Amino acid sequence: MATEMNRSKRRDISREYFSKERLAEHHYRSFNAFLNRGMQEVVDEKATIDTDIGDKEGEEPVHVELGDVRVVTPRVREADGSEELLYPQEARLRNITYSAPVFMEMSIVKGEEGDQRVVDSTETKIGRMPIMVGSEKCNIAGFSEEELIEIGEDPADPGGYFIVNGSERVLMTSEDLAPNKILAEYDTKYGDEIQVAKTFSQRRGYRALVLCERTRDGLLEVSFPSVSGSINFVTLVRALGLESDEEIVHKVSNDPEVVKYMLENLEEAKVQTEEEAIEALGKRVASGQGKNYQLKRANYVIDRYLLPHLHEDGVPEEDVRINKAHYLCRMAEACFELALGRRESDDKDHYANKRLKVSGDLMKDLFRTALNKLARDVKYQLERANMRNRTLSVNTVVRSDVLTERLEHPIATGNWVGGRSGVSQLVDRTDFMGVLSHLRRLRSPLSRSQPHFEARDLHATQWGRICPSETPEGPNCGLVKNFAQAMELSQNVEDEQELKRELASMGVQGIPGIEGVNRTTADD
Amino acid sequence: MEDTNEEVVCPECGGRLRETSTETICEECGLVLAEDAIDHGPEWRSFDDDDTDRRRTGAPLTRSRHDRGLSTEIGYGSQTRLTGRKRRQIARMRREHNRARISSKADSNQVYGFTEIGRIVTRLSLPMDTKDQACTLFKSAQSEGLLQGRSLEGFAAASIYATCRTLSLARTIDEIVDVARADEDELKVAYDALNRDLGLPTGPIDPTEYLARYASKLDLDTAVERRAREYVSRLLEAGLISGRNPSGVAAACLYAAACECDGDTLTQTDAANVAGVAAVTIRSTVTDLREIA
Repeated sequence: MATEMNRSKRRDISREYFSKERLAEHHYRSFNAFLNRGMQEVVDEKATIDTDIGDKEGEEPVHVELGDVRVVTPRVREADGSEELLYPQEARLRNITYSAPVFMEMSIVKGEEGDQRVVDSTETKIGRMPIMVGSEKCNIAGFSEEELIEIGEDPADPGGYFIVNGSERVLMTSEDLAPNKILAEYDTKYGDEIQVAKTFSQRRGYRALVLCERTRDGLLEVSFPSVSGSINFVTLVRALGLESDEEIVHKVSNDPEVVKYMLENLEEAKVQTEEEAIEALGKRVASGQGKNYQLKRANYVIDRYLLPHLHEDGVPEEDVRINKAHYLCRMAEACFELALGRRESDDKDHYANKRLKVSGDLMKDLFRTALNKLARDVKYQLERANMRNRTLSVNTVVRSDVLTERLEHPIATGNWVGGRSGVSQLVDRTDFMGVLSHLRRLRSPLSRSQPHFEARDLHATQWGRICPSETPEGPNCGLVKNFAQAMELSQNVEDEQELKRELASMGVQGIPGIEGVNRTTADD
Repeated sequence: MEDTNEEVVCPECGGRLRETSTETICEECGLVLAEDAIDHGPEWRSFDDDDTDRRRTGAPLTRSRHDRGLSTEIGYGSQTRLTGRKRRQIARMRREHNRARISSKADSNQVYGFTEIGRIVTRLSLPMDTKDQACTLFKSAQSEGLLQGRSLEGFAAASIYATCRTLSLARTIDEIVDVARADEDELKVAYDALNRDLGLPTGPIDPTEYLARYASKLDLDTAVERRAREYVSRLLEAGLISGRNPSGVAAACLYAAACECDGDTLTQTDAANVAGVAAVTIRSTVTDLREIA
């Protein structure tokens, strides 16, 4: 009897997972998050557009401040000038794009620091954003079955795709290695086995690979973008403000064997103080330049290219540097533990080490580059208008087709920013099942021409997440996967600070060193 | 094309025609009616760079660029990124090359005019052929020497206004001035010059051109719009349109139609604001309408 009950309950749950709202839910949840906060985040990152006006003598500098961004629902402007709501079916039949106007508040500010005044402040249309069918901003959101039929829409259609120039395009979910995580593994260099700790550090669309290697003579070296080759670990940690031998050893590990390894490293160290370390780094990043420039460049490289994900809004640079030093120490520890056989190398195919990029994340990347392009155009238009002695107004410097084109073109062709291609695909309408399967498909960015046997294998951690049997035969086998029926996709948190507070309230303790730093700055 | 039968039977013997990929022949007598037709299908030849670049031609010619979109560009290559001296050298060449695209002051004025036209066209969401036509108009104004002593911005805006007039796309001067860098005087000066010296084929504006747009702005039904259209033609028959602002007439007819269909939902002020006229204009036209009704 009990099993009977369970079966009917199980069936209910199963049916629920198969409902229309669930099948493409990951797509519109991600896209809604992009519309609701992702877009504003991108605009806030940009914040201002600076111009070259004011470089000349006797000219007042001008810059533009970006404010709130707002998207309405899709509409179409006819040749006779009338504007009407656009429904997906009309977009499909007329071969037009299902997109909604985007408005942004912009103010042109004139004058030096301290004596600034707003010349013009308006909310202006900056372009059109393709809207996902079934998302919050879609015109059919919340329609009943009868209403959907009334406007020619299929009530069973799951949505989750875009309509660009009349063709339905779905953005392929892509499966990437988790960023901001230390992965320890073995590697070979000049025939010897070495230990490497890797981190893909990612912040605001900028991605930097940081490597910490333990070479065959037991020395630690770190490499990160903008520095050719690698840098001695101790030098870098000292440059970040971790000076004394004791501190460095203590921060890496208390394990006697690891301490022994660390002491070897410290003995080889060529610099002893923070200043010396920064000088040494300067010689590496700007060799042959003046001393002052070397120091400036070294500091810039540390703050800009080394582990960018540790930066946080409202956290002062010194604290971030200490955090970076601690992070490097964790990477060093991972290398040593691997060398001592205390741990095994991390499994790249483990699903805990994977992150999925869904429509919203991809659109955010796109919107970021499109906004940068728009900003460059606004800068050019402003300078041009200023040169011709026109009064500067927001309305006359924004060309709305710049943003629109940058958003529509990648979706129409699949050529995404960063050189990825095939990101958007024509929705497979062979049959209804084809659509559902296509919307729940995910793709690994690994090259399909190489074997990658481990990546293609079914991994135990895919249980309940990825369908074990649905994958194409041939070169894409195991690289293209499909979601399991009851898969739940979690999203990243909105506010990281809040998450940290929450964790602290639950008893999670920070690294002692960092707390100390915070306390001293608070007391001062 | 007029007679479809001619297409399918042989003109000699009346036999059936057969189309192969290269020719059209009569199945009865073997007469070849057409050969060497253009194959619009994909290319079957293969080239070395097929994998990297499948384009065989550039973009189509366009009148909305000063060089008709014909000039070349030094690209960035796709495979390997250049480094060091070579990259700096290429960057220098690219910059010089871009500078050389604009050879004279007249050219640079044209580029400026065309970007301004492009900007206004997208702002007003006008169709793309308007842009081409406006650019051509701007160019002929330039070659006629009309730009001397008048503002470029004015001519850019006026070209669009003139194009809209000739294409029967109703846009008021106010609407264009709103988004243009030119002010109203500059636009009018430029438009007068265009009209005088180029002999634009513009007649009086038909008020019906405004109806669809104003109706959507005022959130009115299509039934109201249809009613208004009737009113306009009635006014036209009675000869009451000449001498009035067509935009005002359109708004007045919409107002009258709305009053009849929906009751008093639309105010005269709203209608007047949309059309950019005074409420008095609406009122007087409505009075006329009532008189002839």
